[in-house]
Amino acid sequence: MSDPVFRGGLAGAKAIDGSISVSAIDDRGMIDLRGDIKDKKFVAATKKVLGISLPAQPRQSVNKGEVTALWLSPDQWLITCPRAKGAHLANGLQTALAGIHSLAVDVSDARSIIRLEGQGAKEVLMKGAPVDLLASEYTDGYVRRLRFAELAAMIHVVSSDPEIIDLYVFRSYAQYAWDWLAATSTKQSRLSLFANQSIASV
Amino acid sequence: MRINCPYCGPRPNEEFNVLGDATKTRPDADKATAQDWLDYVYERDNPKGRLEEYWHHASGCRNWLVVKRNTVTHEVYSVVAARDYKKTHPEGVKK
Ligand SMILES: [Zn+2]
Repeated sequence: MSDPVFRGGLAGAKAIDGSISVSAIDDRGMIDLRGDIKDKKFVAATKKVLGISLPAQPRQSVNKGEVTALWLSPDQWLITCPRAKGAHLANGLQTALAGIHSLAVDVSDARSIIRLEGQGAKEVLMKGAPVDLLASEYTDGYVRRLRFAELAAMIHVVSSDPEIIDLYVFRSYAQYAWDWLAATSTKQSRLSLFANQSIASV
Repeated sequence: MRINCPYCGPRPNEEFNVLGDATKTRPDADKATAQDWLDYVYERDNPKGRLEEYWHHASGCRNWLVVKRNTVTHEVYSVVAARDYKKTHPEGVKK
């Protein structure tokens, strides 16, 4: 039987407990929001609906309560909220933004979110992306899109210490990303190349 | 080769798609001849040295950039968002 209700690219995936913890986050709603940050009306309308000011600075995010705004580009943000509220919030934005050159679309089903948690999370991601995630800029709230394991992906550093990183991939790649992370985050595959490490006795 | 995106910072070139020559100006649709279109769409120089190109930060901010670089040394001289480049070069990009 066909199932018209999308249940997330990783519905039912059991968290992986390896060198780090990997789990699927499938209770987030997502809204693609575009507009001109220099337009005062756009800024005011979005703030009224979301309760937060959109981050104008590149690669930053703003969070308050249940709502987070992630910077995607100079005129684009990804708004995340509880999944049950996604459609409502998108409608609220569309109403408030009527007549303002902008776009707000509920894209809750477009992406899957995988959470990496624990010391070494950045190292696991660095196996799949030529990025120095240990650089100081990758601190709390930092957002960047990147190529990860040949995918178009995005990371959000929820917390740098302890390490909690959300990886966003398009949903059709969710299983691939999941399997990739499962294979590279086993206890045996821990690198500890960059963290404080003691040399293991052989 | 690394490209210093004005929005994202220095990024590896795998994150970008190249479109090519940024010095071509779209012909006037009412006046252009077939030769003008041929030149605009297909004809490209293959310079050894300085080159001005459009690059798209596809795996980043998805903005179009104008990158001035050297095809021999891979040195990148400057990177400007295409929208800003147009503002500072209203007459169009030099041939
Ligand atoms: Zn960029």
